[in-house]
Amino acid sequence: MPVAIELRELTKRFGTFVALDSLSLSVQRGEIFGLLGPNGSGKTTTVNILSGLSRPSAGSATVLGYDITRDTRAVRASLGAVPQETALYEELTAWTNMVFHADLYNVVGHDRNSRILKLLDLVQLTDRRDSRVSTFSGGMKRRLALARALLHDPQLLYLDEPTLGVDVQSRRALWDYILGLKQQGKTVLLTTNYLEEANTLCDRLAILDHGKLVALDTATALKQRYGDMVIDLELDPVPSQSLLGDLRALPGVSEVVLSDGHVHLTTTGQRSVTGDIITLVAKQSTVRSISQREPNLDEIFLHLTGTALRD
Amino acid sequence: MLDVAYSLRVIRAVALNDIRSALTERLFTSVSILLPLNFLLLFLLFVLTGGQAPTAVVMDDTGPYAEQFLQALQGARSFTIVRSTADEAQRLMQQGRIVAIVTVPADFDAALQSGQTISLPVIVNNLNVDYTNDIRRAVPLAITSFYAHAFPDQVVVRANEIDVHAQDTGYIEYLSVSIVVVSLLVGGLLQAGTNAAREYETGTIKELLLAPADRWAIEVGKMLGALALNVLSAAVVVGVVVLGLGVRPVHLPEMLGYTLLVMLTFVSLGLLAGTLVRRRTAVVPLSIALSLPIFFISGAFGPVQWGSAALAFISRLQPVYYAIAVFQYAFHDFETTPSSLSLNGLLLLTFTVVIVVASAIALRRRGAAQ
Repeated sequence: MPVAIELRELTKRFGTFVALDSLSLSVQRGEIFGLLGPNGSGKTTTVNILSGLSRPSAGSATVLGYDITRDTRAVRASLGAVPQETALYEELTAWTNMVFHADLYNVVGHDRNSRILKLLDLVQLTDRRDSRVSTFSGGMKRRLALARALLHDPQLLYLDEPTLGVDVQSRRALWDYILGLKQQGKTVLLTTNYLEEANTLCDRLAILDHGKLVALDTATALKQRYGDMVIDLELDPVPSQSLLGDLRALPGVSEVVLSDGHVHLTTTGQRSVTGDIITLVAKQSTVRSISQREPNLDEIFLHLTGTALRD
Repeated sequence: MLDVAYSLRVIRAVALNDIRSALTERLFTSVSILLPLNFLLLFLLFVLTGGQAPTAVVMDDTGPYAEQFLQALQGARSFTIVRSTADEAQRLMQQGRIVAIVTVPADFDAALQSGQTISLPVIVNNLNVDYTNDIRRAVPLAITSFYAHAFPDQVVVRANEIDVHAQDTGYIEYLSVSIVVVSLLVGGLLQAGTNAAREYETGTIKELLLAPADRWAIEVGKMLGALALNVLSAAVVVGVVVLGLGVRPVHLPEMLGYTLLVMLTFVSLGLLAGTLVRRRTAVVPLSIALSLPIFFISGAFGPVQWGSAALAFISRLQPVYYAIAVFQYAFHDFETTPSSLSLNGLLLLTFTVVIVVASAIALRRRGAAQ
């Protein structure tokens, strides 16, 4: 599959502060690729460099085959962006915003208006085309910004926190639009703090922390890397340190954490170790409740970066 | 060819977008129109109130020589004469309504005819040294002038004045033209500055910076948008001077052309300021803070060359100096700078181009920091 984005040892310094530290990764065409990381991890810096808003201190990058420092104009022409703050002219109407974008991106010809109408229809804003954007809800603004970003038919879309501050219903609708873009063969690069969103939308995820890449894989593979299963036990009485030590020594158990009277065990490998755990625990305590599930991305993120995603 | 058409489309789109956005924000648009007008009225008040010294003349003698002397006082162009009695003059002085009392003594005509020395009482309220000096200069001037008319044979030294210009120009007429320039400066800085800063405040700067359009095309579009919005305030300011004060341009086509050129220069300055400060609330005080000192060092009250060499040098480094020069030409046919009129115009154009380039660079660099 051809490469849409290629970063090679990309570095960005602001004085002595290193915002991006030799970041290398590639995004395939037609892929929905997620950039995750806490605030200050380097997500926005990466995207700013890719969209030509900032120049790298070192390293190189290409977007759809264009060098980001030499072919800035071509990069911008092929990129559709939905910034976090939407960058819509709120005092103007939806239609005027779309027409202005068309002029900025040289979308001309007799089909310009029909294209705008089609996109407004896609995001269900046709009936509000003549309303000022300031009268729109957060979800409507996001949808309009998405329609605007698609107006010049970009091959690559960058979505910065696409559903931040959006109600649940609008979030689902936006997810459907984004998944629809993938079906059209477009590449999507998105940053998000919502792990559920990343899990639902992204083919692959890159986790950044302090400007460095700490993990890059599919959501499923990342979960497997952390552990195949998480078992949660409520015991009476609270297990002793020796019991916890015995649990840690069991083959297939990678992590044991005691928290709020609950024991969280992470297991790895294909073999089920649940039976072994119950047998061992039953010797000293009564099992009041037991549950098992796949690890979530919050746990993976915390495991990889040592910090919660929302920090 | 495609690129040119595209750039022109971007320029038009950005200009229209700025006009639409500005018209929806009445507060800043009103400020941009009213503040230049306010500057004009403020300076005009300053000029009108700072003119001639109010002076009471007590005529104890009403003979022909005494009346001729009164005419000489009136012709000195330094007094606003109030003819009054001695008691009335004293009351006016006590009320602080006059600067001086000049008394023409009862034996004025008789003393002149008999060749006696006349002591002319002049009471001066020397609270304000400017007015005091006006009185000190103008009373002897009036005496000389009186003698030259009344006894032409006795005054043998006369100035043979040759005027450079066909007619005199009053202080108000000269200064009001300079005030038009500072009003255009304030208007240009405010309008273009707020237009540029708004993009940063609302985050819409990303829409512009992410576009594949040339930065210069975006800046030129913003300049033209501000220029169009500025036309109204410029028309009001020029209208007040031309119709209100009766200061008519000698060269009307040049006046219109130079107004356009000067407005372009000043909106480009505003664009640069707005791109750098990125806050509308900072643009307003900055516009005022920049305009006032620049106005005072740019030859607003008379040719800069008449002042110190250092001031003249500093003045020549900024565009307001040249703007005042071309306006004084358009209105009064004056050439107030050593450089020719065409060179002044060319320098204004050069300033504009350099500032637009600087704005485009600032947009690129500050945009990256956004």
